Amino acid sequence: MFQPFGRLWKQAPLRSAYDVVIVGGGLHGLATAYYLARNHGINRVAVLEKNHIGYGSAGRNTAIVRANQRTQENIPLYDEGLKMWPQLMDELDFNLMFFNCGNLNLAHSEAALGALRLQVASAQYLGVRSEIVDRQQCKELIPQLNLSEDITYPIFGGMYHPPGGTVRHDALVWALAKGASARGVHIHQQTEVTGITVRRNRVSAVETSRGTIATHRVLNAAGPWSVLVSDMVGVRLPIHVLPIQAMVTEPLKPFLHHVISSGTYHCYAHQSLKGEVVTGAHMDPWISYGTHVTAHYIRHQAEALTELLPCLRGVKFMRQWGGLADMTPDMAPIIDGNDPIEGYYMDCGWGYFGFKSAPITGKYMAQYMATGRRPQILRPFRLQRYEENRLLGEIASPPQYGPWN
Amino acid sequence: MSFTITCPICGKRDLYEFRFGGEEHGPRPDYQALTPQAWCDYVHRRTHRAGPQQEWWFHRDGCGRWFTVWRDPGTNRETSCSEKRR
Repeated sequence: MFQPFGRLWKQAPLRSAYDVVIVGGGLHGLATAYYLARNHGINRVAVLEKNHIGYGSAGRNTAIVRANQRTQENIPLYDEGLKMWPQLMDELDFNLMFFNCGNLNLAHSEAALGALRLQVASAQYLGVRSEIVDRQQCKELIPQLNLSEDITYPIFGGMYHPPGGTVRHDALVWALAKGASARGVHIHQQTEVTGITVRRNRVSAVETSRGTIATHRVLNAAGPWSVLVSDMVGVRLPIHVLPIQAMVTEPLKPFLHHVISSGTYHCYAHQSLKGEVVTGAHMDPWISYGTHVTAHYIRHQAEALTELLPCLRGVKFMRQWGGLADMTPDMAPIIDGNDPIEGYYMDCGWGYFGFKSAPITGKYMAQYMATGRRPQILRPFRLQRYEENRLLGEIASPPQYGPWN
Repeated sequence: MSFTITCPICGKRDLYEFRFGGEEHGPRPDYQALTPQAWCDYVHRRTHRAGPQQEWWFHRDGCGRWFTVWRDPGTNRETSCSEKRR
């Protein structure tokens, strides 16, 4: 009955030339490779990964998917991405464990509820289901919620977004790698990019720790390392790399049937299909390339979670881990290509929105790289917007330094 | 890993007592002849090397002083002046 598991993707020799080289074997890189092969028939594609695929943010995020962002430029992309999950599971023939449980964002003041009203209005205008709920309705959604006035930030109301939920992030890595590999894409792990050669303002080769690869199209999908990859071609990015931590509790009986988040408590949580409460914290507000963890956040998460959900008192954390978030000043990604260097494409600066957006961005990025023409939906995310001072306003506060500082 | 910052007044203290002020990136550009590129460079673009860099820190939960230290975001350690630039 139980056969030994076969490899999901093939090992391939490193060729000396590829049509497209993708730097970064994370979800954005793998999704782009998959759609290049699937939709555009371009399968002489190499995905280069310094570590192993899914080692970075792809396997470190808290697996939440949603489309209730703030701005009209962002919402359509995330909305289309959210609608892809059932179809993607079918097409990749892989159980991505999409759990369509809905997201509840808590507001702890009249002002916070006002901010959520704007988000709900934007969502509804663009056809995304999202609604304001009062504190009693919050309690109906999550019966264990603490409505007491005696906590640090009493609950005032919330925003409920039914189409959101969670997806198993590792499964998506494996499924995309399998799908891409089956269509001829080469996935090279333990292969570090050390340089990008540009001749007459056009990409001509990629230098790696295993030799030189000739190519005219490179995608920088290196997540937090995209700043350093971009340095190789002399393009400076307005990205701050900040560490962010998450942790899981011991498994419990199913009790939390929605994703719950609170900006004021800097805390979000959901119960995984294994029963563990997965919870994420705010970012450490300093630049770091190390995925360290600190006791500071164990205490912070414990305090926040037990105030919101007192039933979690005494429950133990099992694991804690850190990841890196590539934050831009307006918390919107940088998706650009052929500017200023022909053949150099970027898909980075996702901060902590990179997981939910991976398949849909991969699909459009593949179209962009195959045709050389920027799809309409990606237009707002040009790098040039920072020089034009047309930031996207995904955060409400002044963009010089975001809420992380 | 080291999670301390050395304040010139209070000495070596827990990192969480401080507010990060970003990497040192030179003076504000001259208002005369300022281009959008130069302004964007100053406001948004940073080097963010994964090696030692000079950074601004503020001792928020202490003496309230702004100061610069050399720190390596690759290792999260403060570095001495002798290993400033690799």
